[in-house]
Amino acid sequence: MRFVLRRLGFYLLAFWVSVTLNFLLPRFMPGDPVSRMFARSQSRMTPEQITQLRHLFGLDDRPLWQQYLDYLGNVFTGEMGVSISRFPTPVVEVIAGQIGWTVLLGGTALLIAVVIGNLLGILAAWRRGGFLDSMLPPVLVFVGSFPYFWLAMGALYLFGVALGWFPLRHAFSAGSSPDWTGPFVSDVAMHLVLPAVTIVVVSIGGWMLAMRNTMIATNAEDYIVMAEAKGLRPGRIMFRYAARNAMLPAVTSFGMSLGFVVGGALLTEVVFAYPGVGYQLLAAVQGLDYPLMQGIFLTITAAVLLVNFLVDIVYVRLDPRVRVS
Amino acid sequence: MSVTESTSASLGAASGAGSRPNAPLELASDATAPTAPTGPSGRTAQRRGFLRSLLRNRKATVGVGILILFGALALLAPLLAPEDPTVITSAGSQAPSAEHLLGTTAKGQDVLALTLWGARSSLAVGFLVGIAATLVGVTVGLAAAYFGKVTDDVLSLVTNVFLLLPGLPLLVVLAAFLPPGTGTVVVVLIVTGWAGAARVLRSLALSIRAKDFVAAATVTGEGSGWIMFREILPNMASIVMSTFLGVVIFGIGSQAGLEFLGLGDVSVVSWGTNLYWASNDGALMIGAWWAFLPSGLCIALVAFALALLNYAVDEVTNPRLRVPRRRRAGVHAPGGGTVVAGAAETGTSPESEDGHRETPVLEVRDLTVEYRGENRTVVGADRVSFTIGEGEVFGLAGESGCGKSTVAHAIMRLLREPAVITEGSVRFCGRDVLAMSDDELRSFRWRDVAMVFQSAMNSLNPVMTIGDQIVDVFTTHERVSRTEAWRRAGDLLELVKIERSRLRSYPHQLSGGMRQRVVIAMAVALRPRLLIMDEPTTALDVVVQQEIIAQIADLRRELGFAVLFITHDISLMIELSDRMGVMYGGRFVESAPAGTILTDPRHPYTHALMNAFPPLTGPRTELSGLADGVRFTDIGDLVEVASGHWVAPHDEEVRA
Repeated sequence: MRFVLRRLGFYLLAFWVSVTLNFLLPRFMPGDPVSRMFARSQSRMTPEQITQLRHLFGLDDRPLWQQYLDYLGNVFTGEMGVSISRFPTPVVEVIAGQIGWTVLLGGTALLIAVVIGNLLGILAAWRRGGFLDSMLPPVLVFVGSFPYFWLAMGALYLFGVALGWFPLRHAFSAGSSPDWTGPFVSDVAMHLVLPAVTIVVVSIGGWMLAMRNTMIATNAEDYIVMAEAKGLRPGRIMFRYAARNAMLPAVTSFGMSLGFVVGGALLTEVVFAYPGVGYQLLAAVQGLDYPLMQGIFLTITAAVLLVNFLVDIVYVRLDPRVRVS
Repeated sequence: MSVTESTSASLGAASGAGSRPNAPLELASDATAPTAPTGPSGRTAQRRGFLRSLLRNRKATVGVGILILFGALALLAPLLAPEDPTVITSAGSQAPSAEHLLGTTAKGQDVLALTLWGARSSLAVGFLVGIAATLVGVTVGLAAAYFGKVTDDVLSLVTNVFLLLPGLPLLVVLAAFLPPGTGTVVVVLIVTGWAGAARVLRSLALSIRAKDFVAAATVTGEGSGWIMFREILPNMASIVMSTFLGVVIFGIGSQAGLEFLGLGDVSVVSWGTNLYWASNDGALMIGAWWAFLPSGLCIALVAFALALLNYAVDEVTNPRLRVPRRRRAGVHAPGGGTVVAGAAETGTSPESEDGHRETPVLEVRDLTVEYRGENRTVVGADRVSFTIGEGEVFGLAGESGCGKSTVAHAIMRLLREPAVITEGSVRFCGRDVLAMSDDELRSFRWRDVAMVFQSAMNSLNPVMTIGDQIVDVFTTHERVSRTEAWRRAGDLLELVKIERSRLRSYPHQLSGGMRQRVVIAMAVALRPRLLIMDEPTTALDVVVQQEIIAQIADLRRELGFAVLFITHDISLMIELSDRMGVMYGGRFVESAPAGTILTDPRHPYTHALMNAFPPLTGPRTELSGLADGVRFTDIGDLVEVASGHWVAPHDEEVRA
């Protein structure tokens, strides 16, 4: 319990840092981005938008500490201002409409990559010198060396444009409206295949290698020799004794890899015009929509921290040694 | 651990470096790696060895080769590039031809020229980010580890926060606020890239800081800067290198990502901006793959080369990761026990004429185990022969690394590569253990022969309750329900005087003595006819040792199993064993009833071993061991000097 509370405190602190970063960026960045933005887009903004932005970026002559407190209060009550590019929709609403797609894409890809990658790693370490151990790692490392967006574009061209097997863009076909009917669900699934496979292909090698290397270390442990001496079946030793222990470092590194997966999903969304927050983030940057940009960054950060916290709770379930101390 | 331990220990003994025969009773110190660096000169040599092994690694040579190639291309771009990449001509989107080897972009720029010039910016940014972020990481990591306390708390906290913030979104936001340009990209990448390096290097520096030579430097009054940069840093070379390579990969990939999103300076020629323009011009949509393919392939090749090099560094620092070369048909999976096909019965057992025992429980003949290294082979056990009768306790004595554990593991075929049984036979109640199939071997293990390992903490699975670990034995070997198995597991715990309720405990919740009792209970679960005890009490304190020994004696009276007993504690062994064998350098030098070994040791080594312990009562006596530098080589086969007393021939006749 104390472990969980300590971690929770840490994540709150990390979130506070990113909120503060968000607060400071527009105020202290060299080159004065705010005036740059005003200069570029003042002509097409309404007076309300300008007031809103002035408030958001601290151009309203209040003392800094007061601005900061206001900002903190706003963020923790979910008040992130109004989007400029999609005025007058509140930032929170824009994000709420898109985060589901990111969760679907990122979650599916992550789950598949983690499960298959770890299984391959376990098998490779178990049968040293076999195909999985000797041939597959270099191949996966090579595939994993390609930039996400490059493979995404290649896949789009090959399977979308040239072969026509999969749809080219968006999360569902134009004209259909989201519901839970069979045709719509399969339409979404078809749109999901290419972006998800891209992320899986690039990230799977990392999972496999990490698991393989931990498993190799675990296999040298005394309790594995003891399990062999006990005459247990190989499958049971492999999963219940070796992989079960080798999993623990993989779980802790999961949180850290999450940031990379989010980055990969972001780039992939851009290529496929997949309507998630990553795609929206780029649109916000291009449209100089700073409130939306900041809102999306904070949301992504909060999501990453939340998942990390959930992983910690799972870790406590998995490692009895942490549970007690 | 015990397998690796016996490996390194045996290597030490055979090379004559690790063990001094006149100090045979060093308690459980064999885990120390024989190659541990001890002084500055040793460390320099080790570093040079690291570079040399790195260059011999095939992955490293391929990686370095690719990197050198790209470095040369980048440097020579002005000479190699056929034309100025920024020149815009009217000939847009042309397929590769003799004039434009890689075709042209939609704006008519030469793709080959773009790719070559792009290498300059991409590689420069990648390596610049790598160097800068690694420097920051090293400084922060070293400072946190060295100063500790509040400095460490603050620095680790900052590091961990930075690690958690999602990199690319942060990059995007930072890049959006900063004025566009390559400089911005570099700064932003350093800001987001240093934390990973700092974290790894901090924990490494912490572990090095705890080493003896750092303590020695502190004691001699060296300043903290000197210690950090001259003592600690050089020992982190390989990890610094691998974090550096990791950051460069991150730098090149992230730069390409940012530029692809249009967040860099799109007028600079780099692989990332090339792809940005290819995407912007819809190159793929009109089938102009040549505008898109080269830059992506270059990024991938450079990242691959760096990853290969990184992989090679890992393999050199941790040789276990290397893919083993196959020696036999098939692959090596744990659990099989490695036996060379030709291992057969040869020679005669010194005790084969021992008429008293008809079918011994265990009969080991000419057992030879080799540890096959890449460059040399070391013999761990050399033509070892002995028998253990029904209900008999046979003690195996000898210094660390003499091959005791190797023999014990060989009997259950638990040895792993590089250890191989090359010769001899192991018979259990007449059955040839070395010829058993995998299935036969599995049912033989634990049902017929069980083993108590040296360290109970390490031989129990830390994430399973001890109940589940005992139940595993029943459900594997017998057709019993889980409830029945759980009940019997409880009975077993009570047999070794532990409450049933402890079945639900995890190993770390038990004391050392309790854990060892659990392991013993587990060992007798199936009433095996032979129990191998490999230094069952070494890791315990004296009082607990006594309890455990009494426990084993009780169980033996009740269950009547035979024991192969391995320990450093000679007096304990003489007390408990019926007969004893003394090993030296993988060979048996003497074998006799325990009493005879005590009163009439014939081999000089046995004699020294017996004299290494002071008597508890009586007058003080001078302890005598072997004279310095005494080694026994070419130990011959045992010869029977008296009934049941076998000794290896030796020059020096020692008086009892």
